[in-house]
Amino acid sequence: MLYQDFVDSSQYLEYTYCITQDVFDAFQKLSQDLNPLHTDANFAKRMGFPDRVMYGNILNAFVSHFVGMVLPTQNVVILTQDIQFRKPVFMGDTILLKSEIQDTSEAVEIVNFKLKFYRTTNAEKSQLVASGHVQVGLLHPQQ
Amino acid sequence: MLSEVQDIFRDVLDNEDIILAYETYSDDIDEWDSLTHIQLVVAIEKHFHIKFTSKEITSWANVGEMLDCILNK
Repeated sequence: MLYQDFVDSSQYLEYTYCITQDVFDAFQKLSQDLNPLHTDANFAKRMGFPDRVMYGNILNAFVSHFVGMVLPTQNVVILTQDIQFRKPVFMGDTILLKSEIQDTSEAVEIVNFKLKFYRTTNAEKSQLVASGHVQVGLLHPQQ
Repeated sequence: MLSEVQDIFRDVLDNEDIILAYETYSDDIDEWDSLTHIQLVVAIEKHFHIKFTSKEITSWANVGEMLDCILNK
């Protein structure tokens, strides 16, 4: 895919993710993070949360999927990524990830996406739970 | 302008000891590789509010040629 075609077809994208028990279990197994904030509802309540707080970095895993599988070409690589957590997310939450291109550099064929994560569990009231950026480079098959 | 670009190099490459000269080549700086080169280009474009072309950045042999390119924008 040519760089300009990539830019043109990636202006605004979105994808919906769910934080399920399977997602939680897979992330816990990968990270080996057994902090009670994520595993013990009573501990989480003592810390002021209504329930166990999901791993924030599950959202980063969603970004991995988003870049690798949702962008209009698979010839891409993540170069930098950042995320700011604004609200905790919980088991069963539905997360809508919206991206828009923030800036580009044709010379090095990179695109910097602004990311916003909305909790849409309550269909009538979506809530921004995190925001961030991911800088993606376009790859070309070597001859 | 050399000192501004030097500050960008120090920030992007996370090395406060970098001292740039017009004759500095990428081989002279350990951290300056193909991946960090991308971040240097992006940071310089942002700092000076300019855009390079791929032809321009591949023509640079050293820092001096990079600075000449910035000056001509």
